[in-house]
Amino acid sequence: MKTALSPSGWTQIAAIAIGIVIITPLLIPIAVSFSNSVLIAFPPRGFTFRWYHAVLSDPDFRSTFMFSFELGLLVTLLCMLIGIPCALGLSRFEFPGKPAAKALVMSPLMFPVLVTGVALLQCSTALNVMNSLVLLVIGHTAICLPYLVRTVLAALLLVPRSTEEAARTLGANTLLTFLRVTLPQIAAGISAGAVFCFITSFDDYTMAMWLADATHFTLPLEVGVFMERSFDPSVAAISGCMIGFSVLLILFVEKILRIRLDRVMMG
Amino acid sequence: MIGLLASRAARRPAASFGIEPDAGVLAGCLLVLPAVTFLILVFLLPTAQIVVHSFTQHVKEGQLLQGLTLDNYARLLHTGLYSKVMWRTLKIATLSSAIAIPLAYPLAMVLAKGSPFLSRIMLFVVISPMLVLVVIRAYSWKLILSRGGFLTEVLEVLHLCLHPQALLYTDWAVVIASVHVFLPLMVLPLAGSIRKIQNSLAEAAQTLGADPATLFRRIVLPMSLPGLAVGITLVFSLTATSYVTPQILGGNFSIMLGNLVQQQMLTLNDWPFGAAISTVMLVLALSSNLLLIAIIERRFLRWTRGQR
Repeated sequence: MKTALSPSGWTQIAAIAIGIVIITPLLIPIAVSFSNSVLIAFPPRGFTFRWYHAVLSDPDFRSTFMFSFELGLLVTLLCMLIGIPCALGLSRFEFPGKPAAKALVMSPLMFPVLVTGVALLQCSTALNVMNSLVLLVIGHTAICLPYLVRTVLAALLLVPRSTEEAARTLGANTLLTFLRVTLPQIAAGISAGAVFCFITSFDDYTMAMWLADATHFTLPLEVGVFMERSFDPSVAAISGCMIGFSVLLILFVEKILRIRLDRVMMG
Repeated sequence: MIGLLASRAARRPAASFGIEPDAGVLAGCLLVLPAVTFLILVFLLPTAQIVVHSFTQHVKEGQLLQGLTLDNYARLLHTGLYSKVMWRTLKIATLSSAIAIPLAYPLAMVLAKGSPFLSRIMLFVVISPMLVLVVIRAYSWKLILSRGGFLTEVLEVLHLCLHPQALLYTDWAVVIASVHVFLPLMVLPLAGSIRKIQNSLAEAAQTLGADPATLFRRIVLPMSLPGLAVGITLVFSLTATSYVTPQILGGNFSIMLGNLVQQQMLTLNDWPFGAAISTVMLVLALSSNLLLIAIIERRFLRWTRGQR
C-alpha cells in the first residue's frame, strides 16, 4: 500500500546503493579468502580452500574462539541473573533512589569502554586481583548489563497489567504470578537482550586489550595479532569463518528464538 | 520518554495489587540491589579513581609524584603532539557524524515507511555489519583502502584516476570505517522516530499542496529530529572514544585519544597521564550524551512546534 510517506523511487535507489556499499566490505574478505596466491591482490586469482584449512587447524584460533564463546555465555548468564530482577524492580516497584539506580544501570552505555577497562585494570592491580578470567567476566558483565535491562524493561512495559492482577485475584502469590504470567510474556525480550549481551561480549576488543592475559586470550585479540603477523589470505579466511558464524547467529535468532529483528531494533 | 512511561505505569500496581507500600519499597530495593552493588563496585568506583588519580598524581623524570596537580592536563594541552591528537579526535568524530546523516536518511525512510519486503531486506543489510567483529570490519577496509587494494584497482580499471593515492593510514580511512561501523546506530533511532509519524499528517500536507521536498522539510525532518539527535550523539561519542578502527586503519599517522591512552599506559607506563586522557574521553562522551539529549532535544521540540 502506497501512502504519502512511502519513500520515492529515488529514495529507494539511494537506499539500495548505500546498502550495497555497506555490504561490499563484508564480501571482499570472502572473495580474497579463496584466492590461490600467497599475497593479497585484486582481482583474486585461482581457487583454493587451503587458507580455511590452515585457519581451522590452527590451535590458537580454535582455542581463542572457544574461549570467547564460553566467556560470552558466562557473561550472558550473569547479566540475566542480576539484570532480570533489576528490570522487574525498576518497572514494578516504587522506592527511593529509583531514578539514580536506573541511571547507574544504564550508564555503562555512555561511558567509553576503553576507560571502563582501564579503570578496572588499575583497580585490580591495587586490590591484587590477578585472575584474568574473573576480570574479563566482571568487565564484560558491566558493559553488557544495560543492553539486557533495557530490552527487558521495554518488554515489561508491554505486558498488560490486567493479566498479572487476574492471577493475583485468583490466588497466585508474587513468585507464581511472575513465573506463570509475567515471565512467558517477557521471554522474547529476555532472549533479545541475551543475544545483545553475547554479541557485545564476543565482539569486545577494547576492554579485553587491558584485561586479557596469555592463557585467557579472546578471539578479537587473536585476530588482531594474526593481522599484524601475516600478510597472506589466512586472515581473510578467519573473516570468512566469522561472517559465516554471524549468518548462523542471525538464523538462530530469527528461526529458533523466533525474535523478529525489525521489532526489536526499531522499538 | 520510556523512563517516564515506565515510572508512570509503575505507580498503579501498588494500589491495585493490594501490596503494602512498605513491602513494595523493600522488594524493589532487594531486586535492584545486586545489579546496583555490582556496578558501584566494579564500574563507578574504579572510574572515579581514574579521574581522581589524574588530578592527584603525575610523573616527573620517571618519578611518580603525589599531590594535587593540573600537570597532566597542561601537558595534554600544551604539548603540540598531544593536543594535535585531541583536535584530530574531535575532527574525525565530527566528520563521521556529519557524513552519516545524509546516508542514514534514505535508509531510515525505507526501513520505516518502505514496502514490507524491501524494508526487511534493508534492515538485515543495515544491521549486518553490527554482527561482524569490529576487528574484521577494520581488516576489510584495510583490504579496500591499501595500495593495490580494491579501491585503487577499481579506479585504475575504470580509468578514473591514473595513479590513485592509497587512503590507508590517513584520517579519511578512519572516518570512512567509523561511518561504516557506527551507521546502524544512527539509522535505527532515526527509523524509529520516522515510523511514528502518522501517514494522515503527511496526507493532509499533500492535500494542501505540499510537494515531496516540502513534505520532507516540513514534516519528516522536524519530526525525526529526536531520533537524529540520538544518532548523532551515538556516532560522535563512539567515534571519539574508539580504539580499534584508528589503530588498524590510522596506524601511526592518524592516532586518536584512545590509542594515546594505550601508548601512555602500556608502553610508557605513565598511568597518571593516561588517566588524564581517559578523563578527557569520559568528559567528551558524557557531555555529548547529556548535552545533546537533555538540552538540544528540548530545543528541537520547541522548533518543531514553531514549524507547525
